[in-house]
Amino acid sequence: MYIVKNAIINITRNKGRNILIGIIIMVIAAACSITLAIRASADKIVTSYEKKYPVNATIGMDREALTNSLREGDKTQEEMINTFNSIKAVTKDEIIKYGDSKYVSSYYYTSNINMNAKDIKEATDSLVKETTTTKVETTTKNESWTKRNPGNRPGRPFEGGSSTTQKKTTTQKKTTTSKVENIRNEKAGRGTFSLVGYNSYESMVDFVNGNYTIKEGEVSNDFKSNSCVISEELATLNKLNVGDKITFKSPNDEKITYELTITGIYKENTDESSNMSNMYSNSANRVITNVTVIDNIVKLDTKLEPTITPTFILKSTDVVDKFTKEVKEKGLSEYYTVTSNVDTVLGATKSIVSVKKFATTFLLITLVIGATVLFVINMINIRERKYEIGVLRTIGMKKISVISEFMLELLIVCIIFLLAGAGVGALSSVQISNSLLEQEIENAETDYNEINKNFGGSMEKRGPQREPSQFGITNIEKVDSMDAVVDYQVLGKLLGIGVLLTVVSSISSMIAISRFSPLDILKERS
Amino acid sequence: MEPILRLENVSYRYKDAAKDEYVFQDLSYEFNEGKIYVIKGKSGSGKTTLLSLISGLEKRYKGKIYYNDKDLSKVNLDKYRNSDIGIIFQSYNLLVHLSASENIILSMDINKLKIKNKKAKAIELLKQVGLDESHAKRRVLKLSGGEQQRVAIARSLSYNPKIIIADEPTGNLDKDTEKEILEIFKKLAHEENKCVIIVTHSENVCKMADKVYELKKNNKKV
Repeated sequence: MYIVKNAIINITRNKGRNILIGIIIMVIAAACSITLAIRASADKIVTSYEKKYPVNATIGMDREALTNSLREGDKTQEEMINTFNSIKAVTKDEIIKYGDSKYVSSYYYTSNINMNAKDIKEATDSLVKETTTTKVETTTKNESWTKRNPGNRPGRPFEGGSSTTQKKTTTQKKTTTSKVENIRNEKAGRGTFSLVGYNSYESMVDFVNGNYTIKEGEVSNDFKSNSCVISEELATLNKLNVGDKITFKSPNDEKITYELTITGIYKENTDESSNMSNMYSNSANRVITNVTVIDNIVKLDTKLEPTITPTFILKSTDVVDKFTKEVKEKGLSEYYTVTSNVDTVLGATKSIVSVKKFATTFLLITLVIGATVLFVINMINIRERKYEIGVLRTIGMKKISVISEFMLELLIVCIIFLLAGAGVGALSSVQISNSLLEQEIENAETDYNEINKNFGGSMEKRGPQREPSQFGITNIEKVDSMDAVVDYQVLGKLLGIGVLLTVVSSISSMIAISRFSPLDILKERS
Repeated sequence: MEPILRLENVSYRYKDAAKDEYVFQDLSYEFNEGKIYVIKGKSGSGKTTLLSLISGLEKRYKGKIYYNDKDLSKVNLDKYRNSDIGIIFQSYNLLVHLSASENIILSMDINKLKIKNKKAKAIELLKQVGLDESHAKRRVLKLSGGEQQRVAIARSLSYNPKIIIADEPTGNLDKDTEKEILEIFKKLAHEENKCVIIVTHSENVCKMADKVYELKKNNKKV
């Protein structure tokens, strides 16, 4: 206890020396604090980006593998289509199995079926192929007749006589059969309308990306309701409005019907709409609904096979390969492949990651310089205090007690000025962090407003009903207080750094104290 | 009466000195409680070195030193220094950033003395050596040489040691102050039964000693 008391007395009685040490520690702490804040801000930006554009993986047809497989054995086109049709679609159960992975943070999927509709016309040309088959039948007839039997020669006047005449007649009969058939991909389904079911706003990538924008009404936030949004073209063609109902029919059994209420009308903004060779856009007959509707329809008609497109949100950029390997091991067909946006994500955050790396390097350099300066100051300090050490040792203080007292003094000075430095650093960091985050905050706000607009609805509804997180946008807030930058974690790190610096720079005192002989010190003094 | 401190054929030479070049050789002295001893000699005769050996600050010597019949080379020297022996240096060796009383309290703390009011005890000790309460609060640098020497004596008494060793205690003092300090030593030896060993070359100090040991130059024992 007396060591603590004596350490405090020594600090207060040797202000000049301790203030000098303190200023150095304060500068180091401020630099560390700013660096840590830059690192934290960089992390926030990267996290925000990864949240907004998460590393996601999806399962899709491996066209290359498929083409290679179809080329084998010189298959005819029909055989190729049959082979293609024999590839089983990824099922919901499989997706659940793949989603149950330590590499996946969440997953969603869209479910797609094709249906016909009652009372409304489709906004697309039907692809009808007319096959004309011409059948030619050739009949050869041998005829012989005599004059005596003139009547046997049809179409000829009676010639009389009994001479025998022979004639070979060839008749050709041409039959033309016209067959109209739909050459189609069975996987695309037989219905005219594509019903796509989603289970969250986030999964509605076309709306999030701005490919689709609600022109009238809104996308219902009840992902279990019998609601849908339809394309502007379909609405115009059939004079449909928000609130109208559409009855869809199963392509397998016309008696199986399902009624959906239109809650919104969307417009497609992609370039596909401007394709002059088509009258309608590709999405004209796309009816957007929720997965519950698709599940209900499939329950009614078990022959319908929904096409399920999963999206797995992966935990980090490092796990893409591991996840792909795991999915293959869990039994994904060779005709399917896992694709991800990892390159895009890494590319986009590359510059900010570089800033973070620079900050880390700067932190290390600061620490090394700081530790060296403190070490040297301590060496000088110990030389100055040699006499004190000699006196303390002479009056019976143990070496370990002297070392403890000197270390404690430095630790107290270190912690006090470290906190002061952290405060100064935090004040500066608020500005630095804000300037770093400003652009990101602005982007997030713009993105939220634009995406929210894409989903439609009144201004009043936009606020409470839809949070930015529903669109995968992280709420980045401007730093307005010190504790937002220098949080407990940063403070803990700084204290750790302080203790480390104290220990490293005290090594000089420890060595000196253990080597000094009190007699030599006092002799020197004399 | 058994001597409290006994030197048996003690020889010492510096680390870098020639093999036969001793500062002193085969010293055999005895010291008893209640007496004042003076070790005198000219400069370079090894007075302070002998004091270092007795106080356990120097361990590299030939021969034996016994404290209460215990071989000094086998006892805990930190404990010996902070409880059995009080050392008073010529240059006082006080901690200059502390006050007179704080120097004494620190010594008590190091010795882990269980005294309830250490400050009061420190003031009492200072009074014993002729310093009043106002001196107790002053930083030692603000005290005169004589006052600092008194503080050093008071510090050495703080843990009530049986032996008090003083190295040239009056070397930096005027005659009047020297007299006052010597009176304190006398009192300590004759009234409080301490064994007081004073290293000096002052004849005045020798006069008041109960026994004088003289060290001569050129490594010869007396």
